[in-house]
Amino acid sequence: MRVPLAWLRDYVDVDLEAEALADRLTLLGMEVQAVERRGSDWHRIVVGELLSVEPHPGSDHLLLTRVRIGDAEPLLTVLTGASNVAAGQRVPVAVPGAVLPGGRRIDVTRMVGIESQGMLCSGDELGLTTDADGILILPGDAPVGRRMAELFGDVILDVDVKPNRGDALSLLGLAREVAAATGGRIRWPEIVLDEQGTPTAEHLSVDVTDPRLCPRFVGRWVDGFVVGASPLHVQARLTAAGVRPVSNVVDASNYVMLELGKPTHTFDAAAIADGRIVVRPARAGERLETLDHVTRELTPETLVIADARGPVGLAGVMGGAQSEVGDATSAIVIESAVFDPVSIRRTARRFALQSEASLRFEKGQETRLARIGADRVAQLVVAWAGGRAAPGRVDTAPAEPAPVRLPFRPSRVTRLLGAPIEADEMRALLARVEVPTEAARPGDEVPIAVGAPGIRLDEEAARDALVAIVPTHRRDLEIEADVAEEVARIRGYDRIPGRLPETPMPVFRPDPRRAVDAVRDVLAGRGLNEVVTHALVGPADHARLGIPGDDAAIIRVTNPLSVEHSQLRRSLLPGLVRVLVENERQRRADIGCFEVGHVHDLVDGVPREEAMLGVLLAGDQGGAAWNQAARPADLWEARGLVESLCTRLGVAVREAAAPSSVAPYEHPGRTAVLRAADPAGNLLDLGRVFEPHPRYLEAAEARASHVAVALVSLDALQAALPRSQRYAPFPRVPAVERDLAVVVAESRPAGEVAGTIREAAAPLLRELRLFDVYHGAPLAQGERSLAFRLTLQAEGRTLTDEEIDAAVARIVEALGSRLGARIRS
Amino acid sequence: MDLETISARLTDLQAAGLEAIAAASDPMELEAVQVAYLGRRGELKTLLGGIGGLPAEDRPRVGAIGNRVREALEAALQGRQVELEGAALDDRLAREAVDVTLPGRPFRRGSLHPLIETNREIARIFGQFGFVVYEGPEVETDVRNFQALNIPPDHPARDLWDTLYTDVPGHLLRTHTSPGQIHVMQQTAPPIRALLPGRCFRYEAVDASHGFEFFQVEGLMVDEGTTMADLRGLLDAFAHAMFGRARPTRFRPGYYPFTEPSVAFDVQCVVCDGAGCPSCKRTGWMTILGAGMVHPVVLRNGGLDPERYQGFAFGLGTDRIAILRYGINDIRMFLENDLRFLEQF
Repeated sequence: MRVPLAWLRDYVDVDLEAEALADRLTLLGMEVQAVERRGSDWHRIVVGELLSVEPHPGSDHLLLTRVRIGDAEPLLTVLTGASNVAAGQRVPVAVPGAVLPGGRRIDVTRMVGIESQGMLCSGDELGLTTDADGILILPGDAPVGRRMAELFGDVILDVDVKPNRGDALSLLGLAREVAAATGGRIRWPEIVLDEQGTPTAEHLSVDVTDPRLCPRFVGRWVDGFVVGASPLHVQARLTAAGVRPVSNVVDASNYVMLELGKPTHTFDAAAIADGRIVVRPARAGERLETLDHVTRELTPETLVIADARGPVGLAGVMGGAQSEVGDATSAIVIESAVFDPVSIRRTARRFALQSEASLRFEKGQETRLARIGADRVAQLVVAWAGGRAAPGRVDTAPAEPAPVRLPFRPSRVTRLLGAPIEADEMRALLARVEVPTEAARPGDEVPIAVGAPGIRLDEEAARDALVAIVPTHRRDLEIEADVAEEVARIRGYDRIPGRLPETPMPVFRPDPRRAVDAVRDVLAGRGLNEVVTHALVGPADHARLGIPGDDAAIIRVTNPLSVEHSQLRRSLLPGLVRVLVENERQRRADIGCFEVGHVHDLVDGVPREEAMLGVLLAGDQGGAAWNQAARPADLWEARGLVESLCTRLGVAVREAAAPSSVAPYEHPGRTAVLRAADPAGNLLDLGRVFEPHPRYLEAAEARASHVAVALVSLDALQAALPRSQRYAPFPRVPAVERDLAVVVAESRPAGEVAGTIREAAAPLLRELRLFDVYHGAPLAQGERSLAFRLTLQAEGRTLTDEEIDAAVARIVEALGSRLGARIRS
Repeated sequence: MDLETISARLTDLQAAGLEAIAAASDPMELEAVQVAYLGRRGELKTLLGGIGGLPAEDRPRVGAIGNRVREALEAALQGRQVELEGAALDDRLAREAVDVTLPGRPFRRGSLHPLIETNREIARIFGQFGFVVYEGPEVETDVRNFQALNIPPDHPARDLWDTLYTDVPGHLLRTHTSPGQIHVMQQTAPPIRALLPGRCFRYEAVDASHGFEFFQVEGLMVDEGTTMADLRGLLDAFAHAMFGRARPTRFRPGYYPFTEPSVAFDVQCVVCDGAGCPSCKRTGWMTILGAGMVHPVVLRNGGLDPERYQGFAFGLGTDRIAILRYGINDIRMFLENDLRFLEQF
């Protein structure tokens, strides 16, 4: 809400500097987000008197004026293209050397042979009004020669009023806050109406079909006025407050909205058939052209103001074009109503028509303002446009609610705030915001939460309790905690002492992120860069993964900001590949990065999230240098990384196998599934390591030729973590090493050979390491040799040569009989 | 041969031996000298083998002289050996010298993402006060994200959160970490001191200070006597841990439907130290978090009796803290993942 200080001063005395006032309001919860000084950018712009206005001899669209800007100053000759000027008028003059808002400089210029010594200004050029067509005509008593900034400058505070304080979306409401801050009192505008002619009730009737949607409708009738521009100070005030001046009638309605926070509407009475208004839900198929000249299809959820022929306005949101007040309007109906906030909010959202009016309606309206607002608009129309206000109002619900009694316990307020505040101080603080207090009575109920039974005060409790008498404009004060906030707020939050809690500590709970943080630390220690990519990706990202756009397991955003971020990622891969592509653009080709994040899908209609680790390696992983060759990323680099990570966490990767099927983004021959055992011994899939399919990389516009990826489920890893870490005693006797070169068919996976050795050599095998793979002569085509180093050891004793030979013989026999392997010697 | 002669020849032998030892230029030569003088058929043995012709009383004297000669030669041999080995080592070391200004073997420098690390730092600070970490889902229900937090459908306060909705009925992308309050209260009995870090989403156009994905940390403390003074003390402690002991803080009214009273918590601008600059919109203060006493309705929705229990909650924007902590001027850097940025952390 933009608050021009000169206007605010109509309702409250302000002795503070603007900055100090802004600070006080902010500390009161009315955060001032900006302090703007209108006129601070008007340099050398003064009031001038037009002594003469003549046509320019050489141009038919320029006027030549003689301007007096002070007795001691020489007369100026100023040319203007505007046609609304006449001798005797007072106007703003930018004298040579002047600077206008926006930095525009005014100097002596020549136009069609005549020198112009400055410029006459429009209201728009000064930001004083929004009229850009003509020169701003100042009041006849504007002192000639005075700086415009002195006369019309103002300070405007931009106040962020929170949604619960609809009452403060008005100058009067903010004046109340100022008064609370300074200890002053507010002044209501004096609302007096000189009523004349036929009573309103004879011009107008109002029928509300559902009082829940429109609890009160007050109508007034004004006629005999002349529609025209509002007085300059009104236009300047509205402009400063951010509302465009339209005409004296419409401005009166807007002025009252800003002044009292009461939105009203003025209908051209001629457009209301028989003066009969019905407030009702729209009927299916009805249409209305609104003030913005858009024809809207209405539905029964929309509340409308209608006459016998059909809707003339969207209740609380926007009027109809048909009934708009124009130059020819000679009578108006003033609508000053209270509508159901939810209905207004829904209508405004449905038609994307959130306006200053709808924003106020949806926060709830004080009932009595319907009456006061109608009177005030009528008063201002008559004052600014002339005419007569018809006697009386039509009012569908004249009864106005009384202030609400809100019992509260000062001891409970103190307990919540942690600051000792005496009950008397609370009473004094509440009095500053027009909330009187009285003693509580036995039987009074302290409201704890809206919609739940309160705490009934017995005789003893009532002695220590108070009742806040909440004025009808403070709809936000409903429960005891609200009183606590109000007390703290008026007293100043800064006076609440800070102290460290002395209450009991919660029981120990292991940090669920410990394993994740360990993973991050290990990978960063290995030289990888952690990245964070978007959880929202696009259909193209999923399509490249082979997931079609209509896949039922994708969770989609129904109101995305862009199609590129419209689906929740089902994999970390697209984000990681984007990191690669973006950095390749910066000529960074050697990359090792990882992300820890959630992937999403829909399982049986229920959203499921899985914590994943994604690793992407591209280009050289070893760091080629003068003494070191490059080590291009490959499957084994990624696998080794994941295995070392798992080992560090106490999880052994039991198995790496070729998967039964590969995804379209995986290299069909370079993809492995990694499995580990959980503490109960069940084998679980940890994830996959793979080199991406070249077509996938191409489609993603990655240029790197050596890329390897690991996608590991952190949930699975968490499940595989040992429950406790136990020391395992190791034999003190020396171990024996034997090397075996096993010749097998190339198609035989090394994992199978190793598995056979493990099984045959148990329980003596302590360690098995594949140290060489050999193809070529003297081996036959289609054969390869896998060289293993076996470390053999028994518990507590040295193995005999016989035992070792027997073990090796068992291994050789198993390899031969099961895998058709032989030993190369 | 008589004693005189033999003594003289032993003396000559010693002199010649010492000369040969000194002349030996490598271990092989030295070995040969040793064999030649002290070996089984060496000169000393040969010379002493001839003493049989001496009178019996002279033989011990010759033996004593011979021993002196052997000892002298042996000592010289050993000395020369040490000398030669030292020289050989010096030679090797000289040959092994390298250009030490050549660069070291390159090890990749890893990095941890500043947002996630800031979350960890926040958890570390509050961890000292007994706060423990919980987690909540990124896809939330409208009920937990709004309704349980005292924000009914069509409540005007919903405008405070521009929401991204999903095609799963009743589900949306959490707009804040606050639904975690409900998760925690439903699974734990007071005393509660909980932290919930996580990724949040809003329908928000991207610029230097906004993104549609961002990170928050929610804090919740509930028991029978937790007060607003505790909240202030803890937030001050946090601000001082994060931004330095001397940094002034400010506690002022805010508004959230799920807290009452509600608080906005400011620290003095870390850019201008309170003088007023564009970063703090010339106010001298920067709001780093929103907080307040948990609303009775929220306590009830969490299964707690609001007459017995009370507490506070706060929500801080990780991005904002990270920006201030590292002096970053554009929030977009966080999700761009430019290595030139990441490698600085």
